[in-house]
Amino acid sequence: MSTENLVKQRANDIGGLEAGPIAMVDHEMLPWEKRCHALLDILDIHKIVNTEEKRRGVEDLGSEMIGKLSYYERWIVSAINVLLEKRVLTPDQLAKKTAEVEARFKS
Amino acid sequence: MSDHDHDHDHEHPGTAKDEALPGYYAILEISVRELLTEAGLITADEHRRQIEILDSRSPALGAKVVARAWVDPAYKARLLADGSAACEELGVTMYDNTRLIVHENTDELHNVVVCTLCSCYPRPVLGLPPDWYKNKQYRARVVKEPRAVLKEFGTVIPEGVEIHVHDSNANMRYLILPQRPAGSEKLTEAELAGLVTRDAMIGVTTVKLPVGASPGGRS
Repeated sequence: MSTENLVKQRANDIGGLEAGPIAMVDHEMLPWEKRCHALLDILDIHKIVNTEEKRRGVEDLGSEMIGKLSYYERWIVSAINVLLEKRVLTPDQLAKKTAEVEARFKS
Repeated sequence: MSDHDHDHDHEHPGTAKDEALPGYYAILEISVRELLTEAGLITADEHRRQIEILDSRSPALGAKVVARAWVDPAYKARLLADGSAACEELGVTMYDNTRLIVHENTDELHNVVVCTLCSCYPRPVLGLPPDWYKNKQYRARVVKEPRAVLKEFGTVIPEGVEIHVHDSNANMRYLILPQRPAGSEKLTEAELAGLVTRDAMIGVTTVKLPVGASPGGRS
């Protein structure tokens, strides 16, 4: 199979592809999803991670993650990757903080 | 979300009662937010404020804009010329440099909005997009076969009517000005706003009088 299309059409670029019927679905936002949305809005307002960087960050997750992660799961992972790339955060900081937050909720 | 067993029942600080132990992604969100707050790049206050802003946005704002355009031709002209500025007149502010562009549906032209690359949406006037707007099927298909997609929404556009599909991006968001339904002449501006749905402003449906309403006004 030709690989040409993988180069020409990245994972987000789905306009015009074949796809199934529209599922008329919606869901109430989960509390963490709303917090995530608000966080990304603020990051955009301060131009720490702007909307286009976030979108590109989602695209960079690749088709498997895009397909398997939920909408806001993609947002937060994208934001983290952009923050790491820009060296606003370091992997060390993040690892320490997530362990701390996890421990806080388990206690 | 989390498959962690959680059999004690005390409340955790900072979580709502109905929320179990946060899952992996929720923990990531909290962690990033706390790190950036500690670094002085963002504040907890502005995060809370942003949640309030999210809660305050709904399609009722867009409906107000549409109803005003229906009753006030001068406003409609301003809205079509510069959507952001006209929304500002009604107290709805677009963020950043996002331009709001309004397209009018007519007897000859039907407009519909999509964001094929992600989920750009006129949030200040419509709130958050429905899941179907963000899902693959709508994004992939509406640009290629809009008539078939609209039909799935129960919207049949006559063959003689042209369809324009507007693909949004981070700097350009679209709002559709639906056609005012025939027989709504006697309705007040507020009553008209009550007829305007989110989906009509995305362009996947049209505005209709409530079933049972007699043409020519309210019965």
